[in-house]
Amino acid sequence: MDRILRDKKAIIIFIAPGFILFTAILLIPICKAFYYSLCDWNALSKPTFVGLDNFIKLFTKDKFMKIALKNSVFFMLFSAITQQVTGLFLAVILSNIKKGKNFFKNIYYLPCVLSSAALGLLWSFMFNQKMGVNQILAMFGIDGPLWLMDTKGFIVLPMWVIGFVATWQYTGSTMMLYMAQISGISGSLYEASYIDGANKLQSFRHITLPLIKPMVVTTLSLNCIGSLKFFDLVYNMTSGGPNHRTDVLATHLYNEGFQYFKYGYASAIGIVLLVFCLLVTFIINKGLKVENYEL
Amino acid sequence: MKKKLLSVLLSTAMLVSILSGCGETTTETAASTETTETTEVAEAETEASGEVVEINWMFWDDLEATEDLMSKGYAEVIDRFNTQYEGVYHCTPITTNLEEYDTKLNALIAANDCPDVYICNPGPNLTQYVEAGAAMDLTDLLQNQEADWYGTFTDGIFERMTYDGKIYAVPTNFAAALVFYNTEMFADAGAEVPTTYDEWLVSCQKLQDAGYTPIACSAGTPWCLSMIAGYLCDREGGPDNLVGVNSGTLDWTTDTFINAATKLSELSQYFQPTAAGDSNDQATAAFYNGEAAMLVQGSWVIGQINGNNPDFESKCGVFSFPAVEGGADPNRMIVKTDNLVVSSTTESVDACVALMKCFTDETAQKYTAEVSGKIPVIDVAFDEAAAPAQLAYVMDILKNATGTLGFYNESLASVEAGDTFDNAMVDIFLGNVTVEDGIQSIQDYYTENVWNK
Repeated sequence: MDRILRDKKAIIIFIAPGFILFTAILLIPICKAFYYSLCDWNALSKPTFVGLDNFIKLFTKDKFMKIALKNSVFFMLFSAITQQVTGLFLAVILSNIKKGKNFFKNIYYLPCVLSSAALGLLWSFMFNQKMGVNQILAMFGIDGPLWLMDTKGFIVLPMWVIGFVATWQYTGSTMMLYMAQISGISGSLYEASYIDGANKLQSFRHITLPLIKPMVVTTLSLNCIGSLKFFDLVYNMTSGGPNHRTDVLATHLYNEGFQYFKYGYASAIGIVLLVFCLLVTFIINKGLKVENYEL
Repeated sequence: MKKKLLSVLLSTAMLVSILSGCGETTTETAASTETTETTEVAEAETEASGEVVEINWMFWDDLEATEDLMSKGYAEVIDRFNTQYEGVYHCTPITTNLEEYDTKLNALIAANDCPDVYICNPGPNLTQYVEAGAAMDLTDLLQNQEADWYGTFTDGIFERMTYDGKIYAVPTNFAAALVFYNTEMFADAGAEVPTTYDEWLVSCQKLQDAGYTPIACSAGTPWCLSMIAGYLCDREGGPDNLVGVNSGTLDWTTDTFINAATKLSELSQYFQPTAAGDSNDQATAAFYNGEAAMLVQGSWVIGQINGNNPDFESKCGVFSFPAVEGGADPNRMIVKTDNLVVSSTTESVDACVALMKCFTDETAQKYTAEVSGKIPVIDVAFDEAAAPAQLAYVMDILKNATGTLGFYNESLASVEAGDTFDNAMVDIFLGNVTVEDGIQSIQDYYTENVWNK
């Protein structure tokens, strides 16, 4: 190992492809986006440097930014909680069943591999007043709500609906990661706990949970970052409407950039989103202390 | 060693291909170039290379799947163009649905991949492409090089496509917004065709009492709702309203706009129960499927109605948007043209002109009137008996028109201002805000973004 680490040429050769790609498709665009966020730019003429004007307007005058921030934070919390709970629950159940494990694993994971755009359209039909859920409710004499248009309340109904669809779609991914971690726990630990008189719930509480903690950090980070930059389901189900009530940061960015040609302003939203993602990742990593155990 | 060399070569090739994709392309601003020069260059290039000149045309409907008769007509134009110019020019349509059209077109323009010819709404929508340098100045081409073609167009049709004396688009058809109604439902309910807003409410009530849904409207597609709001604004205050708010001499919070929004809120109680979430297509379908008695729409909907339900033509009547008693001129009409814009970066101006000529020649314009029920943009004789019955009603109403205006949201200061108007009307309709608060939100937008500039 030491010999390899002393070989500087080998280190450069192995790191170079990743470093070049990372720089070309991530680092440079991020730096450019940061520069554009300080400019008034419509992508077709030369950018005009305006300093922090875009950021000041974003946080002081843009009322839709406040809605987008509120919805993004809600969506992050909702996704993190629901996907963690259901993902872990399904992983524990499926890890303990003898028959049909692979079948159910594939069923629950299937929505993850489907196109979010197609699923967004599908669910928007399901929640349309003239078809889907409301038709079923009408058979029982219930007048269904405006699932994707209701705008009452601090968090509007369409945001809960989109949160539900996102949980349905992405729980499978969290479940798979937890299943992988659980499968790495030695069976002898559980056997020893049963000999000592522990029941299933106690063994889950005192063996499974502590040993999957590193995966909690990983899945929580993935859930939070994924939901913060969420775009496709929201865009395809509500397009941020009615009147921006379901806008999240990504749809607000998209509208400002691609609807109104305000690319400098949209870049500023992108930078806020980036900082937000980094902040959340930092808090999760600092907030959850992970101890590594020998499995 | 050979393997090592091969792997190094392959890796280098991969990297180069990836990085070349990230490279910036230089934007050529052809807007400043004389059209004549560009035409000559295109001709010379075609002759020199002997290759088929490929152009693309972007449109807001799926030409294969559509039931809309106007879109089918456009598909025929493309086929005719490709046959007529086989071996010389070829046009490939880029299609998308209406709701996403502007977004996708903007993305293509931003990526320096602007379609050679694209369809565009007049007003701030076209303005943003003109200001961004994405639309070619066609003045010289139309008025000098192609004067005969230019002479075939109806007088004044280029007015809304002209900026600072320069023409930036060519219209393909002309439509007016009116109220379409189901004559059978009206007769059954004993309702009469209204001429004033108050009479309209009486008719709506009679229809509702007879068990019919009086009006089909879409708030899910905000411009449908805002078209009614725009008409009410104009009926209340006339042309001074638009001129005033855009020039900053009239506040949005004045009585005319408050009254118009109040009337919209009042009228909305006669909309179908699902109006809040219905799309434009769903609301239109509710009308031609006999689920609602009236539909406020542009005359382009004739093609959609007759294409989807040919039996409906005989019972579909048309009347002008009712007057507001004590308001402004009731004979002004909201009108709209479909327009073709040529990209300022196109390398094939000749092919683009040939394509636009196909869209506006006699064959295409006869189809526009006789099949799709829209109004031609050139002076062409068409078989009135073959044209949809609704077109004759529209033409009759147009004869009495004393003036025209564009869609309200397309006549405001910018695309964003139009969206603000649309969204405020949707909010008022949904009851999320009071009429005063809804109008105040437009006032706030104008104060912040339009009047202070």
